[in-house]
Amino acid sequence: MNDRRLLGSIAVFVALLLLPLAVHDTFFLRVATEAIMWVGLAVAFDVLAGYTGYLNFGHSAFFGVGAYTTAILMMRAGWPFPAAAGAGGLVAAAAAVVAGLPTLRLRGAYFAIATWALSRAVQQLALMSSLTGGPDGMRLTAYLQPRFFYWVMLGVVGATFFLLWFLLERAPFGLKLKAIREDEQGAKALGLNPTRLKVQAFVLSAVPTAVLGGVFAYWVTFIDPDSTLGDLVSDQALVMVVFGGMGTLLGPVVGAVLIFAFKTVFWAYLAEYEVLYVIILGAVIALSVVFLPNGVLGTLRRRGAVRRPGSGAPALTTPPAAEAGAAAGKGAA
Amino acid sequence: MRRALRWATLVALTVAVPAAGQEAREFFKVGVVAELSGDLATGGNVTKRGYDLWAQAVNEAGGIPVGAKKYPVKLFYADAQSNPSQGAAAAERLITQEHVDFILGPYASGVTIAVAPVVEKYKVPMITGSAESPMIWRQKFLYTFGTVPPVNFTGAAAIQTLAGLSPAPKTAVIFGSNDTFSKATAEAFEGAAKKAGIKVLKFNIVPAGQDLTPLMSAVKGMRPDLVAFGGHDEELIKLVKGMRQIDFAPSAILMHYGVTEPAFVEALKDDANQVFGGAVWTATTRTKSEILWKDAPSYEAAARKAFGVGADYTQAGCSAAGIAFQVALQKVGAPPPLSEAKRAELIKALEAVDVDTFYGKVKFATDGEFYHANVGLAPLTVQIQGGKVAVVGPKKDADAAAQYPMTPWSKR
Amino acid sequence: MELLPQALADGVMLGAIYIIIAIAFSLVYGVMHVIDFAVGEWIMLGAFAGFHLNQRTHVDPFLLLPVVFVGFAALGYVLQPLIQRVLSGHKGNPLLMGLVFTFGLSLMFRGLAQTFFGFYSHSTPSRFSTGSFFFEKGGFFLTVSSVRLAGLVYAVVITGVLQWLLKHTDFGLGVRALAQHKDSAGLMGVNDRRTNAFVYAIYVGISAMTGVLIGTILSVSAKMGPEYTIFAFFVVVLAGMGYLAGVPAAAFLLGIIQSVFLVYLDPGYTLLAVFAVLYLILLVSPTGLFRKGV
Repeated sequence: MNDRRLLGSIAVFVALLLLPLAVHDTFFLRVATEAIMWVGLAVAFDVLAGYTGYLNFGHSAFFGVGAYTTAILMMRAGWPFPAAAGAGGLVAAAAAVVAGLPTLRLRGAYFAIATWALSRAVQQLALMSSLTGGPDGMRLTAYLQPRFFYWVMLGVVGATFFLLWFLLERAPFGLKLKAIREDEQGAKALGLNPTRLKVQAFVLSAVPTAVLGGVFAYWVTFIDPDSTLGDLVSDQALVMVVFGGMGTLLGPVVGAVLIFAFKTVFWAYLAEYEVLYVIILGAVIALSVVFLPNGVLGTLRRRGAVRRPGSGAPALTTPPAAEAGAAAGKGAA
Repeated sequence: MRRALRWATLVALTVAVPAAGQEAREFFKVGVVAELSGDLATGGNVTKRGYDLWAQAVNEAGGIPVGAKKYPVKLFYADAQSNPSQGAAAAERLITQEHVDFILGPYASGVTIAVAPVVEKYKVPMITGSAESPMIWRQKFLYTFGTVPPVNFTGAAAIQTLAGLSPAPKTAVIFGSNDTFSKATAEAFEGAAKKAGIKVLKFNIVPAGQDLTPLMSAVKGMRPDLVAFGGHDEELIKLVKGMRQIDFAPSAILMHYGVTEPAFVEALKDDANQVFGGAVWTATTRTKSEILWKDAPSYEAAARKAFGVGADYTQAGCSAAGIAFQVALQKVGAPPPLSEAKRAELIKALEAVDVDTFYGKVKFATDGEFYHANVGLAPLTVQIQGGKVAVVGPKKDADAAAQYPMTPWSKR
Repeated sequence: MELLPQALADGVMLGAIYIIIAIAFSLVYGVMHVIDFAVGEWIMLGAFAGFHLNQRTHVDPFLLLPVVFVGFAALGYVLQPLIQRVLSGHKGNPLLMGLVFTFGLSLMFRGLAQTFFGFYSHSTPSRFSTGSFFFEKGGFFLTVSSVRLAGLVYAVVITGVLQWLLKHTDFGLGVRALAQHKDSAGLMGVNDRRTNAFVYAIYVGISAMTGVLIGTILSVSAKMGPEYTIFAFFVVVLAGMGYLAGVPAAAFLLGIIQSVFLVYLDPGYTLLAVFAVLYLILLVSPTGLFRKGV
């Protein structure tokens, strides 16, 4: 992503930062907070899915781990919110390393199913454990300050976005991940360490998700295994990323905003026809796979904007593997 | 491009949101937060029906009398999507966008717990006709009430009735699905069984939706007198079917209110007969009232006319929630729109409510572990007889004798 | 100890239902390399078809099986080219695209079912629903329900038919060739598009038939799909993707795990055990118990 787009993103971020000063409608802030959360979840999901080529169907597990860690530390151990949410991120990072090392050896569909099975197992654990409150879930002390949560959510997502922008689009890291996505064996031959890179990507995907989970828990004041460890987070993130455009940083943002906006408008003004929403969503997903294989962003780009090498479209010049290999050759892999 | 997109969406959302306006109205705006979609849509829609029926009846009578005038009610729906965070968002939307005067609450306890802090913050009274978990009342929310007594209040009663039958059951096997309501039900059964001197041979919480036949086969060998199960509609159907398939008929099968749902009898047909359940209201309960419906059968008839299907106690509880508001509003005597001060008065009025409705007595506790839950109702034990729900306990409310012990499957 | 025969028998009968779901699912994966997220929804639609047909015609669901098969197979045949298009798209990662596409389909079907069939659960009655066999000897006893036994028979029959189809017909030869090596098979004269369409049609038909059966043994509801998708995944992965001969063993294993937990251990941990086993098997041997997967 070139600097003009970066500047644009920063401008939008600043505008979003200032938004609560201009708009006082609490419902609007709530909607915006949730939209921002989904942007973060989708972008984090894309690190592993779009850039590295590994579909983590257990993405929800990180969200739930963050949510529950935060809830348990705050409610049972009296920790303050920032520390608890941070701890949630750390726990998720550790989990990503521990689970990632064996699981990332699997390819494609096997990895998807394995991560999904693992996250369902985590959900079952939460259902059976008394520490997590079992099926009753956990309540957090209510702190209903819409602006606070808006800014915290925006802060976390903003930090994630810009950090990932740097790591994936500026530093060689992104190219190395794409090299793994395109040809893992070849990447290895060029001197990259796929295992280490994959685990790093996994951790990068896990930590923001978990922290967002922690913020979510405090924000909604009530969590249970269904809402935080179910498939909803993984499924929606997947849809947003695929619809928006994989392997780009802005694709998931676009996908998240569009799908969430659609969902909210439908929900707010067509509540009677809510069931239709599920049908339409399913149809949208299915049709976009058929007609928009590069996602909205990818299709828009192909239609006439700048053609970016290494965005998932067939490379015109140097394949990412070679570029990454060159980068690896120059410095540490 | 993305920038434009983002701006466009933000602007669209801002513009789409209707501007605030609190002019005087000729009607009460009532918010309904219910699970209209998602996993709990079945229950959520029953809840909605209960609220709809109340609104229809009250409007037919001209509206809620306040002072000299009558004000009709208009319902505004928001879907909680069976998700606590969406429930909270739904409540916030109804309060800040639609400026509702009060709220009729969700079906599920989890959603209710997420909605309660929101109504507490904006000081908008809410009554839920359905959420039964004791967790809610322990939090002592000032602005949240419930017309259905908590499950631990009602679960024990059914066991007590069964313990009083002859020959008294001596052993029991008790299960519950691993969700808030079912687990609480099973625990209530267990506690009551132990108190009644019934030996609990096996007590397990099982994952929701499982095929329990292997478990039932094992239990059959234990030959318990009573099999009690806490779960939701589909699980109840599967369990009875499973027991039928392995020809396992204990002296009594006890479930909870799921047996009163029309789907239960419809799916199982004759096999549903003689199953016991717990309820706080049935279409034949002997209640008398002067408000809207004079007794239970009248309500049932109205429900059938409006929706083509009979009512269960969740639906009834929801209509009763509307009635509670109606009664309290009459007392407060404030016309719409309700100011924050008037809403606080409404809370006081609700706490003082003590009214006989078609549903039974509505009286909210003002302290203790059932704070703001309805403690005016007496739990009933029911049994399916001849494809219909019959009240078999306690004695003073019974309209039929319990058919006990159960006729073996093969003899039916 | 006395419960062991019962636990095993129940496990086997539970497993029988899973076999059919998994075999068809595995076949589709082996030939088309698509993981159909909507398998549970096909089962659900079949269950509703069986329920409503039975309601209207009062014909026993077991007799309705062929009708349901034909109807749904036709639907599958028509739908298959769309899936094919998704899979051979120019965008990389056809597996992902197939998964997402079928996921979208599953959402759509579930929504449609809720809209048209409502939220309630149903049960399809059958003349087999009420019988059972009971054996008792010493401390051991065994109850076998007729309808589940019929399910086992169904499983055996379908497995046999598929086996015959694959091993003893030209069509089956083409299918196996396609699964092994798509390009060579094409060179040898196998019409891959048509064969794929037939395979998918058979898969949808079989899934729907199994749905009818499940409606009789268990229940029918618009939300029943995802549970069976889970079980299909589990069995197919355990057996080895695309390796049909491994399916019965894997299916029975799943049934027995469930049964053992329900009978001997704390039933609350049943699903945890299922997911944990699935995960561990994938780690240790992703190509399945027999290491013959694709």
